[in-house]
Amino acid sequence: MLPAAPMADSYVVEDIPFPADVAAEVGGIGFDANGLIYVGLRRGDVLTAMPTADPAKFDWKVFATGFDNTGGVIVTAPGRIVVAQMPELTEATDTNGDGRADRYRTLSDAWGLSGNYHETTALTTDGHGGYFVALGTASHRSPTFVYTRGEYSAIGRRGRNFSALKYRGWTMHVKADGTTEPYSSGFRVPNGILYDDEGNLWSSDNQGDWKATTPLYLLQQGNFYGHPSSLVWDSKWPAEKDPLATFRADLAAYNKMRTYASVEVPYLELLRSGSQPIQIPRNGAFGPFGGQILLADAASKHIARIMPEKVDGEYQGGVTLFINEQGLRVSNNRLAFSPDGRSLYVGQTSRGWGATRGTDTEGMQRISWHGTVPFTIEKMNITPRGFRLTFTGPVNAAAAQASGYAVNSYTYQSRWVYGGDPENARDHAVAEVKSIDPRTVEVVIDSFLPGRVYHLRLAAAVTSATREALSHPDYYYTANRIPKD
Amino acid sequence: MPPRLFAFVLCVVSCAGRAAPTGMITYDTRPHGTVAAPLILRTYLPDPGLGDVVMSHHGKGSKTSEYSPEIGADVAGEVIPLAGVPAAIAVNHGPELSYVFDTTEGRLLYAWRGGFLDMYPYWGVKEMGTRLYDYVPKLVGTLFYKAAGKHPIEIDGRSVSEDGAPRFVGYDLVDSQPTFTVRHGSHLVHTTVRPVTGQNAFRVEFKVEPAGAVAYRAESSGLDVKTVSKGNGTLVLTIAGPSLGAFEGYSRKVTIKEASAAAGEQFYRNYGCAVCHSTDGSMGHGPSWLNLAGHERTLLDGSKVMADDAYLLESMKNPNAKILQGFAPNFMPPYSQLGDLEYQSLILYIKSLRPGR
Repeated sequence: MLPAAPMADSYVVEDIPFPADVAAEVGGIGFDANGLIYVGLRRGDVLTAMPTADPAKFDWKVFATGFDNTGGVIVTAPGRIVVAQMPELTEATDTNGDGRADRYRTLSDAWGLSGNYHETTALTTDGHGGYFVALGTASHRSPTFVYTRGEYSAIGRRGRNFSALKYRGWTMHVKADGTTEPYSSGFRVPNGILYDDEGNLWSSDNQGDWKATTPLYLLQQGNFYGHPSSLVWDSKWPAEKDPLATFRADLAAYNKMRTYASVEVPYLELLRSGSQPIQIPRNGAFGPFGGQILLADAASKHIARIMPEKVDGEYQGGVTLFINEQGLRVSNNRLAFSPDGRSLYVGQTSRGWGATRGTDTEGMQRISWHGTVPFTIEKMNITPRGFRLTFTGPVNAAAAQASGYAVNSYTYQSRWVYGGDPENARDHAVAEVKSIDPRTVEVVIDSFLPGRVYHLRLAAAVTSATREALSHPDYYYTANRIPKD
Repeated sequence: MPPRLFAFVLCVVSCAGRAAPTGMITYDTRPHGTVAAPLILRTYLPDPGLGDVVMSHHGKGSKTSEYSPEIGADVAGEVIPLAGVPAAIAVNHGPELSYVFDTTEGRLLYAWRGGFLDMYPYWGVKEMGTRLYDYVPKLVGTLFYKAAGKHPIEIDGRSVSEDGAPRFVGYDLVDSQPTFTVRHGSHLVHTTVRPVTGQNAFRVEFKVEPAGAVAYRAESSGLDVKTVSKGNGTLVLTIAGPSLGAFEGYSRKVTIKEASAAAGEQFYRNYGCAVCHSTDGSMGHGPSWLNLAGHERTLLDGSKVMADDAYLLESMKNPNAKILQGFAPNFMPPYSQLGDLEYQSLILYIKSLRPGR
């Protein structure tokens, strides 16, 4: 068993400065196999440096430039990167080994660009030499251009966040053979996408119209994830049919067509504007949560930790707070683990999407594990009667008592309005807490029904056997399904 | 923008500590390259009046009804599309030459001299970096070339415009100089542009693969086009043009003489307030301004505050002083650099936002 220590001692946040004056608006982070970090900044540069133990000693150099609002960087080989920028997916290569990219090739531009400021990109691999690119919608707070890159749809232009140009609000699959196909639809601002080590494709989205709270979706080809505007570009959707008006009038049809989030992340309590999901390395270099997913926030000093599990063949799971301030800045946009898995690099930017307040919302930081383990729930698994909670260490007696847990549950309904409060909220009595082993309990809950988000608040009396307080008292679980006995 | 903020902008460029290593893009909103190492900047770009024929492979945005997110329906009013070029690439050789190469039309769109782009409307300044409403950068310098008509390149007597939509392949840098490559039908066309020192002119080299006879169809009678050399598959020209307009970048002057709600509405759009604060009661990152002035609001700690002039002013200058319930602290940047006329105009605008207005 690893030694226990408070969260702030276990995971330490350091600032990694860029050269003075550099506009530190991070839109993408990648590493090559040698450990060189590549950081894409939104004004166009991709900088490189070899990380040093002293966070202030990175010797930054320009590797490439000329990218429009970088939203993702993947290093495919030393000296070769793939960059998701607003208008296209681009490969930049240093062909003569001088440390600067000299060949820029368009891998795909099979989507439109309206001129609206809000059309974000996010990038991940497909595990087979290709890429998935998540495309954000435009915002009604600013117009499109007179001349757009690509076909314009007047129906798609309607609404708060809109899809006037092809495949806005879609995830695109750019395959290794050079072809691109639309993959899944229904996104608002999917500012983060992840292909995990088991071949699952995840994306987050931003709370807003048609998104009651921050979702984490498991993406499957052809599925619709709930923001209607993108449907104007679906070949199966009838031409000239307004998806906004259709679903505003018929919420039942909407709920039938859409794929629900695997995990709903409570708004404000945990995250405000969910950004990139990233999988924690399984090699133990970042502590005990290997395989779980961290989800950052572009508008708070929080990073959430998601504990996915498969129930009846479908993913769902729990979520809690991982980093709560600890010196983390606001506007956490892009994440990457160093190749050894020890450090999580977090890049910040806010220009255009929220607000910029000096150094508080721009730059890069590094979160490193210092070998001790905070006292928290490591795994949250659903059972036919409630939840089995595996703590990071042995628990005290209060953890095995019903008084240690306050449970309520609620539902979310996405609709045309901006965001959505929890609905149908109710409290649940805790019928029983069973002690399974020194660090595992099962909390048995009255009236335990599927289709609800369960919120467990743990009492301050619940501590580790050695009296460490919980690093965070609130744990949430999206119970789309409840397993049978 | 008042003079104080302008002074501050200059300070961002000259007063910060260790300067960024040469070549890195900084907070300077007037970035530039040199003849030896041109700067390549991909961003939304100004449209100096290119027209439908030049932009023939683009889609066309249309006027749209104003949408109210509060009622979820269209309301009175129209949203007019902005002038701008969405997916082009700008290149700057210092004061000698700037030009825009478009990836969608696969051709040069325009060229100018004596400056580059003022990115202020889009990049903002470091301490107030919120995107402004008018986020297309402004030209700086003298425009002397503007594309006209169909694509000017002919290969073996046939216009490349007959090949349908071009496909942008990418660009290569040799000695830091970019060569853009576009596929037109079965041909690749490479375009390299260099300045002509001291003149409103550029030198352009076209190379086509597979090789063929390359010709350039003059785009407008005002251009002085001279052939430098011609070979099998290559054509080198100099193109000089008259001044088509002088541009000075973003105007930072506040010209109003007295505060007004109308001026406040303009500042609301120009300074980025509109990104977070609605005027129709709908939710955003910040509280709606509809019906805000003169009404009580609840703060994070449960206490009440009257949204009077003092509160509104404080919330602009020091937004973290009082955070309303339902909103995050540390979110809004302090707008502490504005002048009194701007603050008073914004307050008058907020006060004008009443139901049924």
